[in-house]
Formats: sequence, structure tokens, C-alpha cells
Amino acid sequence: MLPLSLLNAAQNKPMLVELKNGETFNGHLVNCDNFMNITLREVYQTSAEGDRFWKLKECYIRGSTIKYLRVPDQLLDVVKDEQNRAREAGRGPRGGGTGGRGGRGMSQRGGRGAARGGPMRGARGRGRGI
Amino acid sequence: MDSLIPFTTSGSLVDCVDRKMLVVLRDGRKLQGVLRSYDQFANLVLEDTVERIYHQDVFAEMKRGLYLIRGENVVLLGEIDLDQEDDVPLRQVDWESLEPYHQKDIADKKARDEHKANILFDKHGFCKEGGEGDGY
Repeated sequence: MLPLSLLNAAQNKPMLVELKNGETFNGHLVNCDNFMNITLREVYQTSAEGDRFWKLKECYIRGSTIKYLRVPDQLLDVVKDEQNRAREAGRGPRGGGTGGRGGRGMSQRGGRGAARGGPMRGARGRGRGI
Repeated sequence: MDSLIPFTTSGSLVDCVDRKMLVVLRDGRKLQGVLRSYDQFANLVLEDTVERIYHQDVFAEMKRGLYLIRGENVVLLGEIDLDQEDDVPLRQVDWESLEPYHQKDIADKKARDEHKANILFDKHGFCKEGGEGDGY
């Protein structure tokens, strides 16, 4: 589960977004993209000093200005459950051998799979060179 | 196996997944939580995060929950040794009593840095720092 997939899965969930300049935005996530650009609805904006507040119906935040997002604690569990269910559903028709491999590849440690790609790509490169 | 993983951002973070980590942000905040995920930008997912503030030999904690941190803002990511973390000679106090001191530390540091920058500018021909002024 990559960070940006988690963000995708947080659609319609409440969250707090803090910008690099310290301003915070509390609202429900409407949409997001791979640049971390997001739109929120029913937003409470707070100034960096925490002394001024604004209420916005909807707002767009450019991804590059974000410092961090705080999302509901349960989100990780929800996403894991959904992934498991999707895997179970996908396994049936595909059957035995490939099912097992697919399962390992999709394990929640997303980083592992990505890192393993490195050496394998290298190996293939050497093969062609000879 | 370790030697097969190249020393890249993603390569060096594999071993940190599911470990308790300390994250220091550019704004000086210190977060501790379990690293659940990361990507090529070092965007991080931290679970059960607590924020810590320090003043001299005391610290305070505040529960913060699940964070998605944009990688750009990360200064430092370090593993916390669970066997040793309780041996650290710091005393925990409650957040409300420590926060004023912490805010004062921040304000003092800001004033000091400004003072230094002005001396450098006025007397030694240095330019003023144009960025966000956080030293990173």
C-alpha cells in the first residue's frame, strides 16, 4: 500500500492537511491525483498561528505545497481488508500457480516488491550484453 | 540479499518498514511512529504517531494517529531501538505544561538566527537567506 494509494483510498474521508507554510485545512477529501493535488469539501482553514479561521465550501490544494496529511486511524485497516477481498475475488478464476505468485507480489510491504525489481532488471541487462 | 539492493532512497528504506521510526520534519517537528509504507519520493505513512517536544531534560508527547508525510519535508528518518528507548535519561511531563517552554525555545531560536543573519549582512557582506529560513 503506497502512500499515494492510501490517499486515493481516503476519498470521502475526513482529513487534516497542513501546508508547508503552517496553514491547516480540515475537510473531507473529494478527489486527489498522483501529484498529491487534492480537493476538499466543507473545509475549515486555520492560519499558521492558529488564531484565524475560515470556512470554505470547497477548496483545491496543489500537492507541492503540502507538508503532511493526517487521515483517520482506521483507514489502514479498511484498505488492507479491501485489498484482501480483492485478492480473494481475483484468485478463484485464475487458479493455482499464478494465484500464489500474485499473492506474494501484492503483499502489504509494497516497498519490497519494488526493490526486488532492481537486481532482476540488472540481471536481464547483463544477459543481453553477452 | 542486502547486497543486491542498491543504495537508493527506496532501497535503504526497505528494512525500516514496520519498525518504530523517528521522523524530523523541516519545521523542526519530531514524530515517532511505525513506518508502514513509503515511495520513491520518501513520502511516508506513519501509524500510531506521537509528536514529541523537548525542553532541556524533559519531554512531552501528544498522540497524533495516522500520518501521510510528503517526502520533501522530511529531514531525518531514524529507527528507534526498542531495547534502549526506555533508558534515555529524560523525564516525561504532560504536554500542556511543557508547550509554553517549547514555544519560547522556538521563538528564541528564531530571534537568535535573525540577529546572526543581520550581523552577517551588515558587517560581513553576507547575503540574507532568501528561503523559508529553516536552514535546510
